[in-house]
Amino acid sequence: MTDLTQSPQFGDRLKRFLKDYYIYLVLILVVVVLSTANLDKFPLFERGNFLSERNIINILRVSAPILTLAGAFTLLMISGYIDLSVGSAMSLSAVVYALLAINGVPFVPAFLATVLVGVLLGAINGFLVIRLKITPVIATLITLSLYKGIALLLVEDGVSAIKSGGGLKMPGWFNDYGRDGVFFGLPWAFWVAILVTIAMIVAQDRMKLGKYAAATGGNPMAAKLSGIDTARTVIILYVLVGICAALAGIARSSFMSLGDPLSGDGMELTAILVVLLGGTAFSGGEGRVLKSFIGALIIMSLTVGMLTLVPAYFQTLVVGTALLLAAASNHLVSRKDSES
Amino acid sequence: MIVQTAFAANAQEKALSIRDLTKDYPGVRAVDAVSFDIDRNTVHCLVGENGAGKSTIVKMLTGALAPTSGSMAILGRTYEPDSTQDARESGVGTLFQELHVVDQLTVLENLTLGMEASRFGFLVKSDLEGRVVKTLAAIEPTIDPKARVSSLSVAQKQIVEIARAASSGASIIIMDEPTAALSEREVERLFGVIRRLRDSDVTVIYISHKLDEIFELGDNVTVMRDGKHIATKPLADVNGRPELIEMMVGRAITHDYEPRGDIADNPVLTVKGLTNHLLKDVSFHVKGGEIVGFYGLVGAGKTEVARAIYGADKADGQIDFKGRKRAASPKEAIAAGIALVPEERRTQGLFTELAIRRNIPIMNIRKLASFGVFQDEREKEVAREYVGKLGIATNSIEKYAEKLSGGNQQKVVLSKCLFADADMLLLDEPTRGVDVGAKSEIYDLIRDLANNGRAICIFSSELEEVLGICDRVFLMYDGRIQAEIKNGTEVDIPHILNVVTGGGGENK
Repeated sequence: MTDLTQSPQFGDRLKRFLKDYYIYLVLILVVVVLSTANLDKFPLFERGNFLSERNIINILRVSAPILTLAGAFTLLMISGYIDLSVGSAMSLSAVVYALLAINGVPFVPAFLATVLVGVLLGAINGFLVIRLKITPVIATLITLSLYKGIALLLVEDGVSAIKSGGGLKMPGWFNDYGRDGVFFGLPWAFWVAILVTIAMIVAQDRMKLGKYAAATGGNPMAAKLSGIDTARTVIILYVLVGICAALAGIARSSFMSLGDPLSGDGMELTAILVVLLGGTAFSGGEGRVLKSFIGALIIMSLTVGMLTLVPAYFQTLVVGTALLLAAASNHLVSRKDSES
Repeated sequence: MIVQTAFAANAQEKALSIRDLTKDYPGVRAVDAVSFDIDRNTVHCLVGENGAGKSTIVKMLTGALAPTSGSMAILGRTYEPDSTQDARESGVGTLFQELHVVDQLTVLENLTLGMEASRFGFLVKSDLEGRVVKTLAAIEPTIDPKARVSSLSVAQKQIVEIARAASSGASIIIMDEPTAALSEREVERLFGVIRRLRDSDVTVIYISHKLDEIFELGDNVTVMRDGKHIATKPLADVNGRPELIEMMVGRAITHDYEPRGDIADNPVLTVKGLTNHLLKDVSFHVKGGEIVGFYGLVGAGKTEVARAIYGADKADGQIDFKGRKRAASPKEAIAAGIALVPEERRTQGLFTELAIRRNIPIMNIRKLASFGVFQDEREKEVAREYVGKLGIATNSIEKYAEKLSGGNQQKVVLSKCLFADADMLLLDEPTRGVDVGAKSEIYDLIRDLANNGRAICIFSSELEEVLGICDRVFLMYDGRIQAEIKNGTEVDIPHILNVVTGGGGENK
């Protein structure tokens, strides 16, 4: 307390600055570390630089699913709810999309039908949580199982995923959405992620939805007393997350050229980590869509960077440690803020 | 919810008319045929002792409770709210003790929350912002509408909530003990806000235990006692605190205190200068075999004294128990021989979903172990022993604590403390929610415990209780011990009430 009062101006400003911008600093730090490290001898970086065009395109293409998901997931967590079924919803969408494509359905109808599946999956989550009043963690743990179970059932016995073979062949366009560069060498999947993120930023700052999500997560009683239909707000957010999970599933499936019923495994953890890294409070009320987006870039840079720098069996540990440091510094900054 | 009815002609000029309002709970009539009027654009105060029925009336006004019978009317129109939101829509806003603002949003976002102008879900500019900012500026110009609510003080948050009610068109704003958490300067500021509200066509219903505030702020006052309406009159016609207190108490308080002889000479507990967020320089001592009472109204600091001694809250100052240093945690307090019977029995005192026999030994479960192995049979023996000794009415020691009556639950909590070999018992509201018969049993038990040499502190907001069993009583107000009283037949009850409502004591 005493040293704070000696230079309150500077201390306060520094804290404020760190709180607002630490995520960007972390991103810069990660990029600097990865690009100064000597990557020459690794095959993925044969042009010798983390910041090479090819590598950046690579990272952004792989990142499309999590970048698509992060925004809606942030709004849901701001409202104080959570969706553990996103990974399974993503897998199921990937399988449905691949199944439609391999059976001759053209791109646009297959795409729209899969998005509709996402709407349905999100609505089921919302229904369980709001109407049946099942605790969000339990409800979405149940659907995590259910959605994955359905995805596994949709794939024939003896095959690991929907792919060419046995008389059926993936259409030639299947790969384009996730891989084929359209602007700046980046595919549609990435640009859709950008569009979704912009839409979520607009929803957060310029629409009632964003305010209501913050009110619902910040003080549910106050929200209700203000005449906000918190149930409706939460259901809409679950549906949005469902849609984004479907888009992520399409991106992943197109990138890998197959409908893998396990392709979304672990996505719920990545999504939670990314959102927390972006400074969203686990208890709800607080958070920024854009910061989660940056958080996703950090995680993906680390993951891809690690592939080349660190032996495979260390990677998860290194990512975890980096996250711990980031989360701890975030916590320290915000705790000081609330104490003063 | 508002329908035109045939009230008396002048009722149409009244901000609120209450007629024969009654609320029955099983076995208790909390509010008994209360009728009074509240004039428009006044600050109308509601006073009464604990249990007088004020909060029940407030709950009926805010739609949290439905009256058993009787009616209410706003400006002559029948008013029957079925929820807090419904009350708001009828123009009755409430400032609850628990604040309903969203910390993470800005002041302006809070003020417009739920009323935003929008098109297809997109926020659009409207004159709403301008209006609420004006309202806020009119009642408290120093709050920045762009500030985040989390950066405001409790007092400022209250003002935001008041501004919210005012700008959403409330004609009546109810404030229940709004100054409980405020400093003196903030209280002054709040009073300024209330006066400006009154001048801008808002009626304020103000509930407070602090009589000074009522004389400073109020236009009219309604006094309640034992669920009944005693009087409603302009404060200008009230002959100072003594008359108000007399109306609040009204009856002779009966107490059957008998002086007890076996009190040790030396204090076992000495407290010096206890100070924390609420307490101010609290000093006292308790002797072995003595029953000491702490009497004060809600927010006076009684529970905080108990928790500080028990090591549950931090506080500066010295606490000396039998020559030992203070307990830093409840665990240390228990080890030293201090036990607390908390205020909230069901949530803090008992494991309601465990059997009686599992509850009783829980503070000192080691006593039931042989070589580190828990002895189930011993637990049953202990439970039977205490059920017999304290007269816990139950057909089985396997019964869940939840299924017991209030009095029997409290006996289970006391058993817990006794099994922990406590030499000093801190009893916070020991007979709250306990019926009359069980109350006197608990009093007898407390006397027995003291006669066996234990030191006992009772923290109570019931005057009859402390005057019934305590040898000495400390009167608390605003976090301080204002006066100490030796119990006996000569206690001056108006003096006590004067002190605990802020009238100053001899130590002040």
